[in-house]
Amino acid sequence: MKLRSGSLSIMALLLLMLVVLALIDIRLGSITITYKEMINHLAGSSLLSDHQLIILNKFRLPRLVTALMVGAALPVCGLQMQTLFRNPLAGPYVLGISSGASFGAALVVLGVGATGIVATWSLAIAAWIGAGSVMLLLLLVSFRIKDVMTILILGIMFSSGLGAIISIMQYFSQAAALKSFVIWSMGSLGNVTGNQMQIMVWAIVPLLILTFAYSKILNGLMLGEEYAFTLGIRIRRTRIIIFAVTSILAGTVTAFCGPIGFIGIAVPHMARYLFNRSDHRILLPATMLTGMVVMVFSDIVSQLPGTERILPINAVTSLIGIPVVIWLVIINRKAHSL
Amino acid sequence: MFGKAGDHIIELKNLAIGHQKEQTLLKDINLSVRPGEMVALIGRNGTGKSTLLKSMIGLIPLIDGACYLEGALFDSYDLRNRARKVSFVSSHFSQLPSISVRELVSLGRMPFTGFMGRLSAEDQKFIGRALKELRLGSFAERKLEHLSDGERQRTMIARALAQDTPLMVLDEPTAFLDIPNKNELIQLLGGFRDSGKSVVYSTHDLDTAMHYADKIWVIHQGRILEGAPEDLGITGLFDILFENSGIRYDLASKRFKYSTVSKGSVRLQGAEGVQYWWTRNALERLGYEVDISGTMEIKLDSCEGVNRWTLYQSNQSREFSNLYNLARFLNNDE
Repeated sequence: MKLRSGSLSIMALLLLMLVVLALIDIRLGSITITYKEMINHLAGSSLLSDHQLIILNKFRLPRLVTALMVGAALPVCGLQMQTLFRNPLAGPYVLGISSGASFGAALVVLGVGATGIVATWSLAIAAWIGAGSVMLLLLLVSFRIKDVMTILILGIMFSSGLGAIISIMQYFSQAAALKSFVIWSMGSLGNVTGNQMQIMVWAIVPLLILTFAYSKILNGLMLGEEYAFTLGIRIRRTRIIIFAVTSILAGTVTAFCGPIGFIGIAVPHMARYLFNRSDHRILLPATMLTGMVVMVFSDIVSQLPGTERILPINAVTSLIGIPVVIWLVIINRKAHSL
Repeated sequence: MFGKAGDHIIELKNLAIGHQKEQTLLKDINLSVRPGEMVALIGRNGTGKSTLLKSMIGLIPLIDGACYLEGALFDSYDLRNRARKVSFVSSHFSQLPSISVRELVSLGRMPFTGFMGRLSAEDQKFIGRALKELRLGSFAERKLEHLSDGERQRTMIARALAQDTPLMVLDEPTAFLDIPNKNELIQLLGGFRDSGKSVVYSTHDLDTAMHYADKIWVIHQGRILEGAPEDLGITGLFDILFENSGIRYDLASKRFKYSTVSKGSVRLQGAEGVQYWWTRNALERLGYEVDISGTMEIKLDSCEGVNRWTLYQSNQSREFSNLYNLARFLNNDE
């Protein structure tokens, strides 16, 4: 299971794409920062005006870093869920994490009616608490229930239940509050402030490293929990770690950016196709890298280059990802078995 | 007389098993396996074959009793050390994402590798040997989804072999296989004995079990009987086992046969070799005994690859060009 030169060159290519896309992403917007200015800035001889610096540090960079965090975190959650449940349709949200976050957000926006700047923080905190509560419930359940498929069904039911409560709340809420909730639920990479970005990075990066550290165990889980057990893996402990890690990753992303659909499910499939491997020691970094490329690309598209308008990121990720997955499933049968 | 009590690889003492305490499936189980033995577990559907195998290796908690692995209590081993003693092949086949045969077989080394699962030269040696023994060498880089059922099952067994455990437990390893693959697989399993490994497998296929196993465990009416295949034959167990099912064990041919009501006896003339055996087979299937003092006579002529059967019955004779027509005639004529 060593890293083949093929995998390495694909990774190098993806990395190159990522750098190019990141530069394009920073350049975009009403105030232009040219590539030359960026390179000079990076080289330490900055010619940027104060105005440009503020734009760069307060808006463009947090936005880019957020896209990178989302792009790495959600697909890694999706990959782990697909492996644990051995189901190609599993994603970061199957266990109700996003419903929990949405419920928290709905309480703040629809219940309290918070808007404006106060809302960004309270919304993030409420969403995080919502996601965290779902996670705790899930962990409690997984201590008691042996069968992992039962947990999956409970997660889906729980998620639908919360969805129903949210629609009741929406039904009885004011037009303005409803609109801001709907906008939140469309996802956004641009609302994350510098401080929030730091929190995101501190929550996400260590967990991504932790995930990589248990990639051997994920490999064992591919065979199913019975086999994994006979290979010496502690099933319940592993399951709980995976639930906790994915909940915190997906919960953090959702808290700051709203629910961002699709890439969590689709990107692991893209990575499997690109690298044609099932070894998680390769698949995990491959998924992170592919996810970051897709996410930065989606962010560029969402800004509709040349216009003043911005599309909701949730819609863009879906519109970009769906054709890819359809192609993988229908035209290319390789991805069919998962 | 046959060695110390400690030379069992696994020993089950007063085991009670089942999925729930209230529903004990089997109890008072006392069984053992010695190093280098192959044990076939036999029993009808739903009698608890899988439950027994899984309880033995800790996948299902025991209701009562204890299980000893190489003389020490099974539970006293931590998971990693258990995984170095016992490997398992499940009856369920799992769909796996684009995994190659080699990658899958490599997973068998998990209990021996370090934190990141790096394979040492020794690990590679075991993987190579397992691939070779199960004749998967030329398939090594192929993806699992492109293999036949037989090749896939061999891959799963190669994974268990790469785990290099003194005991291998397999739940219905031949379930989805055709007859040649079945025989081949059981022969391969039997070959593992040469390196001192013990194999316990469950099966519905008594034929291969009778031929290859050192010992058979039979689950019958809530009890488990243990013995060499022939021991079980002497006790008349097979007749009891297949009571009412229309199957009996034929001592002469060492095969299971469908018993039918006898319709008469036939003298078979002029036939030898393959033609004789298949004609006899057809007659027995139809309920006729082949006997020199038969009331009917069938004469078989074989000339340049063309067979002709002539039936003499109460001064009449009829010719048939194949056994199908002969069988149709005999069936309608009763």
